[in-house]
Amino acid sequence: MINALSRYTILFTLTLLVLAVLSFALIYLFPGDPLTNLTGLVPQNDIQREALIRQFKLDQSYPIQFYHYLQQLFLGNWGYSFISGQPLREEIGIAMPATFELSTYAMVMALLIGVPVGCYAGLKSYTVSDYAINTASIFSYSFPVFWLALIFIMLFSLEAGIAPLSGRISLLFEIPNVTGFILIDILLAKNINHGLALIDAARHLVLPTMAIGLISTAAMIRITRRSVIDVMNSPFITAARSRGLSNRQIFMRHILRNALLAILPLMAIQVTTLITNAMIVETLFSWPGIGNWLINAINQRDYPALRIGVLAVSTMVITLTVLIDILNRLIDPSREKFERGTI
Amino acid sequence: MSPVRTFFPVLFSVVAAIVISGCTQSNQDAFYRSGIIYCSESNPINFNPQLDTSGTTSDASSHQIYGRLLDFNPDTGRIEASLASSWMVSDNGLSYEFQLRKGVAFHTTDYFSPTRTFNADDVIFSIDRWRLPSHPYHNVSGGRYAYFESLGIADNIQEVTRINSYRVRITLINRDSSFLANLATDFSVILSEEYAKQLMEKGIPERIDHYPIGTGPFKFQSYRKDHYIRYKRHEDFWRDVPLSERLIYDITPKSSLRLAKLITGECDAIAFPGQTEVEVIRQRDQLELAEKPGLNIGFWAFNTQKKPFDNPDVRRALAFAIDKNTLLEAVYFDSAVRAKTLLPTASWAHQRDADDTAYNPVLARKLLNDAGVPEGFRMTIWAMPVERAYNPNAAKMAELMQRYLADVGIRAEIVTYDWTTFRRHLREGLHDSVLIGWSADSGDPDNFYRPLLSCGAIPSGTNRAMWCNRKYDQLINAALKTEDIEQRKQIYQQVNSLLYEQLPLVPLAHAFRYQAHNASLSGMTINPYGGINFSGVEKKL
Amino acid sequence: MAQFSLYQEEFHPSPWQKTWREFRSSHIASLGLMILIFFLIFAIFAPLLAPYDPLQQNVNALFIPPSWNVNGTISHLFGTDALGRDLFSRIVYGCRVTLGSSILLVLLAMIVGVAIGTIAGMLQGVRSSVVNHLFDALMAIPTLLIAIVIVAILGTGLVNSMWAITLALTPQFVHHTRSLVRTEMKKEYVLASKLDGANHFQLFFYSILPNMIEMLVVQGTIALSIAVIDVSALGFLNLGARPPLPELGAMLADGMEVAYAAPWTVALPGLTIFLIVLAINIVGDGLRSALRKRLTQ
Repeated sequence: MINALSRYTILFTLTLLVLAVLSFALIYLFPGDPLTNLTGLVPQNDIQREALIRQFKLDQSYPIQFYHYLQQLFLGNWGYSFISGQPLREEIGIAMPATFELSTYAMVMALLIGVPVGCYAGLKSYTVSDYAINTASIFSYSFPVFWLALIFIMLFSLEAGIAPLSGRISLLFEIPNVTGFILIDILLAKNINHGLALIDAARHLVLPTMAIGLISTAAMIRITRRSVIDVMNSPFITAARSRGLSNRQIFMRHILRNALLAILPLMAIQVTTLITNAMIVETLFSWPGIGNWLINAINQRDYPALRIGVLAVSTMVITLTVLIDILNRLIDPSREKFERGTI
Repeated sequence: MSPVRTFFPVLFSVVAAIVISGCTQSNQDAFYRSGIIYCSESNPINFNPQLDTSGTTSDASSHQIYGRLLDFNPDTGRIEASLASSWMVSDNGLSYEFQLRKGVAFHTTDYFSPTRTFNADDVIFSIDRWRLPSHPYHNVSGGRYAYFESLGIADNIQEVTRINSYRVRITLINRDSSFLANLATDFSVILSEEYAKQLMEKGIPERIDHYPIGTGPFKFQSYRKDHYIRYKRHEDFWRDVPLSERLIYDITPKSSLRLAKLITGECDAIAFPGQTEVEVIRQRDQLELAEKPGLNIGFWAFNTQKKPFDNPDVRRALAFAIDKNTLLEAVYFDSAVRAKTLLPTASWAHQRDADDTAYNPVLARKLLNDAGVPEGFRMTIWAMPVERAYNPNAAKMAELMQRYLADVGIRAEIVTYDWTTFRRHLREGLHDSVLIGWSADSGDPDNFYRPLLSCGAIPSGTNRAMWCNRKYDQLINAALKTEDIEQRKQIYQQVNSLLYEQLPLVPLAHAFRYQAHNASLSGMTINPYGGINFSGVEKKL
Repeated sequence: MAQFSLYQEEFHPSPWQKTWREFRSSHIASLGLMILIFFLIFAIFAPLLAPYDPLQQNVNALFIPPSWNVNGTISHLFGTDALGRDLFSRIVYGCRVTLGSSILLVLLAMIVGVAIGTIAGMLQGVRSSVVNHLFDALMAIPTLLIAIVIVAILGTGLVNSMWAITLALTPQFVHHTRSLVRTEMKKEYVLASKLDGANHFQLFFYSILPNMIEMLVVQGTIALSIAVIDVSALGFLNLGARPPLPELGAMLADGMEVAYAAPWTVALPGLTIFLIVLAINIVGDGLRSALRKRLTQ
């Protein structure tokens, strides 16, 4: 176990190192002045420029530059946005939790709905209700997320007027950013009507969560259904049945546990899809998350922001993937290494 | 953090809060009534309109945060008293004396507490900052004062003198019949001299343009790029008008999204509704649309410092290659009038019988041939990324023009950037041609001719054609030397025919100005002479 | 005329024929295949099928609603957009651009992925294991991020976005090829070929590749549906195809600006993307269950 964990740690560190190298390379790959791409500062004159180059060790060899770059990353000196002039760490610190929050709710929705429905469909496999569920899920799974979000906006915001379509909360509320999770921040905030604010925030959450969640739920249903069917066909279920266990006992004791085990590694691949979808949906709902932020940065050609933003998101995705991987390993040590199946 | 562990407490508290909290309907209404949300179109560059001619910056600061010595009456367009309670002009027209209003309070915020009210020092500081290159604040935030440079006002002021605490005299070198009008524009705001001094002592002078202090109806609270600007009511505002407790700008670059937010009630008012959306707004009972012919001009400017656009015949050929009427129909949907000259119909100097280029691709081809422009010549059309009244959809217009230019053998490429980047590159002169325009700040013709095409306006970045013509400058200077309207009109007619010969830019349209807001807002008016103004606006549910 | 056969001849359908029979027996899958073929015909014969030039602007015909609307005309089946371009023609060409580029990039990703995967699968050892793991981890980086980086370096454009998606899809093929090659290499028939003196190339082309086809088809359909969604998503976010190129996602983004005046310019391109993806997913699903049924028989 310790052996495996240490292998994961080494692998994880190595991956992050590769990411850091790639983001360091971007300083030179992006158009424009490497100094500006690195720091986000535009030197006003040659003297200032010289000083900055010396400060950021850009006059040294690449390995030393990279070492210095790593050091700065760890110290949290991520440079400044070229457009807004704000420290990037601060901006990402605000944007990242917003995306994470949205993805979390969508994931919870996918788990709460997807797993039970998938189990049901798997148990009733090849019946009418299974076909219905399967068809519905393949339909939902095929939606391009941006179009789905637009349909939701049209139906629920503009026609029915049920839910608002932009942001995390009405701007009339002033919620100080503490954790970055809006619902928690509301509870921590002072001098506001908490009930009103929470209802408002929840209404803002509905549509984006549904848009991302629907697709993830569909994927979850398909994964679970497949996994349940596979387990049901395995010999040990037949054995259990022949021993005279009731359907309920078989399901609770044998099918569910084994099926869920098989689902876990597949969730890793869902994380990537989920976060990508969240980032796309953010741009439609003006959700102040990292996706929206990155798209603004690319439209404004804010290279320092892009460099750090891409690094931050990929680090987050890889961390999540590796965590799920380790979790999977902890629960099921027999698995040689995690597999990526098809849905 | 495990998702489940975060979610359940949060979910629980949401439910609990909904059940427990006694948020009654009236309570809720009172809260949502307490602030106005305005969906604006872009990020301001800073909060000092002296530094920037962009409408976004002045909309976000000029009438909200600051006051001016004089104001335009939104209905008549006449100049009226504001921070200056009265003024006198000497007989030779060179000396102006202003009596200042007493007891006007500056904003008290968490970053500044004023110890005194508005007085002559503030006026002198505000004017000297853009007027004197030697002023300690002149070079703060870049040191470019586009509006004043492009009009040449800075060079025309001999001195600004303090007579007493509430009396100031400004002496000019040459007569300038548009001087008072210029002091009433969005750009001539009054800053706090006391605040500036404090910041200078702390060594952070540039904060003056990002954490602004003024005498206007709202005080700045916070700004987050791409998201919002928050303002609070200025409790001691000197004018006796109703003020909403809070004002919030929700920065929403997409026009369709702004309209959507207006419909769902997430915005109370929106900037620049798209021309195709005007009908939708008219059809909805709970929305109101105000419409006025605007003081603006949308045009297509050539970079006259680049070959072959330095040749007037090439510019003329390109002008003949496009069909303005089609552009008007397809982009403005008949909410604009065709522009022949720079001046809109609402201006007193508008010349109805001015010459205009007509659609004639055959002539265009011939002119291009004669000028030696090869078949398949490539050029760029820069299309501005934001909607403006004068050009609601530059990208679409550029696509239409691409087709027309292809017919005369020119391959046009459309270039666009984010607004800030776009304007930076324009100032560097990287464009071949650009679709842009100008919204005037006063009805004075000089406000169109000088900033758009005079030599002095090239470095300040409002002369997008980078065109400098001595005769043109002489004419527009001569027009300012006289107060006689007829004489000025005559001079501007000469200017018009000179422009028709040279065509540094092709005037396209004078658009109507629209403003859409929820019917629950009362007191919203369109001010044709400047940016949006939220003093006196109230929300009733 | 059919020959009269005296003896009951035993007929052994090939594995592919078996799969095909299973596939055809599912009505939904057949329908999906038909829709997909329909879109493929659109893509291939776009110039013949489109009634207008997709770039042809017509200022006299702005915002004509689709023909089923009261105000629509029969000459513009799906209506026109803000520049008076015929929407039906644009969608037909849009299938070509979106679906066509997706197919191309999936094929490219497949070839590259199989090549790398095979090499990795045949060469064992510590070095390949580290590289493999690293590859696996990097596989988690979303396409959107890769696209953003490529766009920042090379600028926007359909081709650049295609590079990004190819780069993101390749690891999946590498992964599957590698594990398939590894398991196959342990099997006896491969050992037999080895003992017969087959070299690596012969082993790959005669023994492993034929067994890989099924996996490639299944993975290919999955990759294709991802590719279509990604191409259009990048087009939608202005990171891919630039207007006026009729790419479905970019058309949708274009239509959003006039969503109130002309809702069909948003609805129809979106619906097309949805149908293409749906058809691909149904076909992929059908293929997988057909394969599964064949194997369990």
